[in-house]
Amino acid sequence: MSTIIIIDSVEEESAVEEILDSIVTAGETVYFLRLSSARGLGPLIQAINPMLNYGVEYTIDCLPENYDASDLAAFAVEVDASRICIGISERTLTGKARIDDATQSILLHDGISGDLVVGEDAIILEELEYGQ
Amino acid sequence: MLRIEFQLGMAGIPSRLLETGEAVESIEIDNAMPVANSAVFLFLTVRTDSEVTEDSLAMELPGLEIIDMSQAEVSSHTYYLGVIADSTDVTVFGLLTENRAIPHRIVGKNSQLEVVASVRDWNHLKEVASAVEEEYGSLELLGTTQTNRIGFPLGSNKIKQSMSGKLSDEQLEVLETAYQMGYFKVPQEVTAEEIAAELDISRSTLSERLRRVQHNFCKLLFGPQE
Repeated sequence: MSTIIIIDSVEEESAVEEILDSIVTAGETVYFLRLSSARGLGPLIQAINPMLNYGVEYTIDCLPENYDASDLAAFAVEVDASRICIGISERTLTGKARIDDATQSILLHDGISGDLVVGEDAIILEELEYGQ
Repeated sequence: MLRIEFQLGMAGIPSRLLETGEAVESIEIDNAMPVANSAVFLFLTVRTDSEVTEDSLAMELPGLEIIDMSQAEVSSHTYYLGVIADSTDVTVFGLLTENRAIPHRIVGKNSQLEVVASVRDWNHLKEVASAVEEEYGSLELLGTTQTNRIGFPLGSNKIKQSMSGKLSDEQLEVLETAYQMGYFKVPQEVTAEEIAAELDISRSTLSERLRRVQHNFCKLLFGPQE
């Protein structure tokens, strides 16, 4: 099992913690995928310390500035990700998890399907299957 | 089940109403019931920034039969309309129900239609989004949440409608802000001072408006005081 965690802000510590706490199990590989809007994940990773605190292997990758959902789908296929997790950085007036352009492009992408779960601090796409 | 919130370009009856010269600020579809000959019975809440008459609206909306029009008791620029329109005037409603999504809220304002609907799961979300994009060209997802309850479909809005007509805009604003900030939760998530600061009003004004809201709720429930 492997999990992609999309980070679009370095202030998503609680989302990453929720994902590592309740979604990911020890021994899995986690791919932190940084959007260009999130500068330098060093302090965030340092604070969370995924290997020591959660027993997971991890890598940090970066999506190009003008990436589209196909780039992400290609990355997910390449690493055979079983989950994609997106931190909830904002909520609508009615309390729903705010969906930004990046999240919308993933949710509506034809090539990725599975289950969508909305957690306290993260949107989790799991049981992923990849199409064309 | 997922509750989704999205917006798309204005179309149908909200668009026609906003294009009238009547300074319409927003239109909410409260209910829609199909009738014969691909017509639909629509119940609308229309907010304007000035007085509007049934005749002036009817003049500007040929082909639309206004069955009933009434004015909210406190918010004088809020009107409740019952009209018979063509089903193409509420395409988004038709698209949602044809695709077995449950529409909860359809509001037209600021050149956009804002929609809240329930879908079964991620695949269903894609199906509905695809149908909407095919008809409207594009849609913007705004938010989502997970729920176990089906919620109130469009048309189960009567309590809200009854109440909102009895509260002033200021009272509604105070009530909504207090609710959204968690004032009514146990334990309270916010103090009265924080709400007053958010609304830029004094603590005593906040207190007065909230008491008037409570009074109006009680009046509606129990009738006038003896």
